[in-house]
Amino acid sequence: MDLLDLIDAVQSVADGVLFGATYSLLGIGFTLIFGVMHKINLSYAAASIGAAYASLLVMSVVEAPAVLAFVAAAAAGGVIGGLVYLVGFRFIPLANPLATLMSTVGLLLLIDEIIVHATAGVPLSYPALFSDVIVQVGPFGLRGDLMFVFALGCVCMTLLLLLLYRTRLGLATRAVSQQATASLLCGISTTQVNVLTFVITGVVGGIAGAMTGAAIGMLSPLLSLPLTVKGLIVTVIGGLGSIPGAIIAGLIVGGLENAFQFFRGVSERDLYIMLLLFAFLVFRPGGIFAKSSGRD
Amino acid sequence: MFEVSDIVAAYGKIEALKGVSLKVESGRITCLLGPNGAGKTTLMMTIAGILQPRRGSIRLEGAELAGLSPARIVSRGVALVPENRLVFPEMSVRENLLAGAYQRRDRAGIDSDIERMYARFPRLKERRDQMAGTLSGGEQQMLAVARALMSRPRLLLMDEPSLGLAPLIVAEIFDIIAELNRDGTTIFLVEQNAHMALKVAHQFFLMEQGRITFSGTPGQLAEDEVIQRAYLGTRRAVG
Ligand SMILES: Nc1ncnc2c1ncn2[C@@H]1O[C@H](COP(=O)(O)OP(=O)(O)OP(=O)(O)O)[C@@H](O)[C@H]1O
Ligand SMILES: [Mg+2]
Repeated sequence: MDLLDLIDAVQSVADGVLFGATYSLLGIGFTLIFGVMHKINLSYAAASIGAAYASLLVMSVVEAPAVLAFVAAAAAGGVIGGLVYLVGFRFIPLANPLATLMSTVGLLLLIDEIIVHATAGVPLSYPALFSDVIVQVGPFGLRGDLMFVFALGCVCMTLLLLLLYRTRLGLATRAVSQQATASLLCGISTTQVNVLTFVITGVVGGIAGAMTGAAIGMLSPLLSLPLTVKGLIVTVIGGLGSIPGAIIAGLIVGGLENAFQFFRGVSERDLYIMLLLFAFLVFRPGGIFAKSSGRD
Repeated sequence: MFEVSDIVAAYGKIEALKGVSLKVESGRITCLLGPNGAGKTTLMMTIAGILQPRRGSIRLEGAELAGLSPARIVSRGVALVPENRLVFPEMSVRENLLAGAYQRRDRAGIDSDIERMYARFPRLKERRDQMAGTLSGGEQQMLAVARALMSRPRLLLMDEPSLGLAPLIVAEIFDIIAELNRDGTTIFLVEQNAHMALKVAHQFFLMEQGRITFSGTPGQLAEDEVIQRAYLGTRRAVG
């Protein structure tokens, strides 16, 4: 491999890490919902793409700068998140582990069907920000749109961490996820925390959906399944329930994805990501940051 | 006064409480003794609103608590120190105390109450930034008590606070119970340690198989009979 190839490879991995911020956000969403409800919400990535579609709808109605698409996607994500809770969790018997799995698979398919129905399955182009900017760092060129996506992802993660560790709501959320009965005894309403968690992760998901659209320049109903899988892989690699884990794992998956694509081609890329998933499940089921279990 | 009348509570078809009635006098320490599986924890969870009773009423100073959410019950002035402590393992000692004050909005009052807890439980002060899951059993029990006190309860419920603790720590916990009571908190305590419980209690009840089978003051029944019934139940004690 000559120098030029090496530069291309590094460039490609760097692009992947920047885009990986999207996976980090999705991973955090899966992890937070699992934290408070101990359930996997399989419709999460589809809802995020749905929110990005909803933002296109808003943009088609009002004449507005492209940045508004992100705001609209965030708002739509929050609303969809609340609806997902209402339909997929509120009245579903939570004691049955299969019930919410099925209800959220159903919601995943439902959201996809709505998108296909509304767009006739044709991909729509999505506004990108700073797509004409390229920052040269030595031999590497960093794409402006990807850097924007990455920066936005970092801002979202910082805000989320502040929310979780510096506010009363964050305290309640952590309390519910660590000891649900004790949080009830402290006067925390678990239902309220659950609803708010769905709305907040929905907002984050909507932004991740918009970031996906902006980074690849379009939206397609075909995105939701791979994003669901990537989000789940990120939660496994990061360790289910770990937010720092999800952040790091998202960036790693983004980088590796592009590395595999660079060396093995786009059609083989996801094969290796899947193998990575199995490797983690077997050798490090607790994720990269798996800690030795504390005393009880 | 706190009054439970004819409470029936069940897990599915199994009735764990079959019509429980009892009274807890304000300003006193009342103790509930009984063998494993008698329904003591079920009663505590029902009073705290975690379990909904099938029937019956629970009144604090005349106001009905049965049917309210756990959060409303906390706001009426009832706090439970649960069996097995149930601290938030990945929160610091300080955050556990803040969670106990979740319903309160008076920042200054909360801060001064945290300082009061640190004064009462100096070991918590030393470990204020340590994760609760890494505390010893005794320290976790102190934290669970302090967390419950952060809501400023009128009635403090405690479910087996001495469970699994060394005798010295048990004595310390009972000293704290007596001290809290002297400061005016009404205490309703579940215990397996009948000897310690009868020393501090003003009044006690025996529960067996979901029913109250004795109520009286500690002097009223010989301690060894109480202990026998509390650990073994009447049937085996007689037979
Ligand atoms: N979650 C549950 N589901 C079904 N049955 C339960 C449940 N919890 C308790 N029980 C049953 O209810 C009865 C009373 O249990 P409870 O825990 O209230 O007893 P206890 O007096 O607190 O006992 P211990 O002294 O061992 O703590 C027992 O027969 C128990 O098996
Ligand atoms: Mg018990």
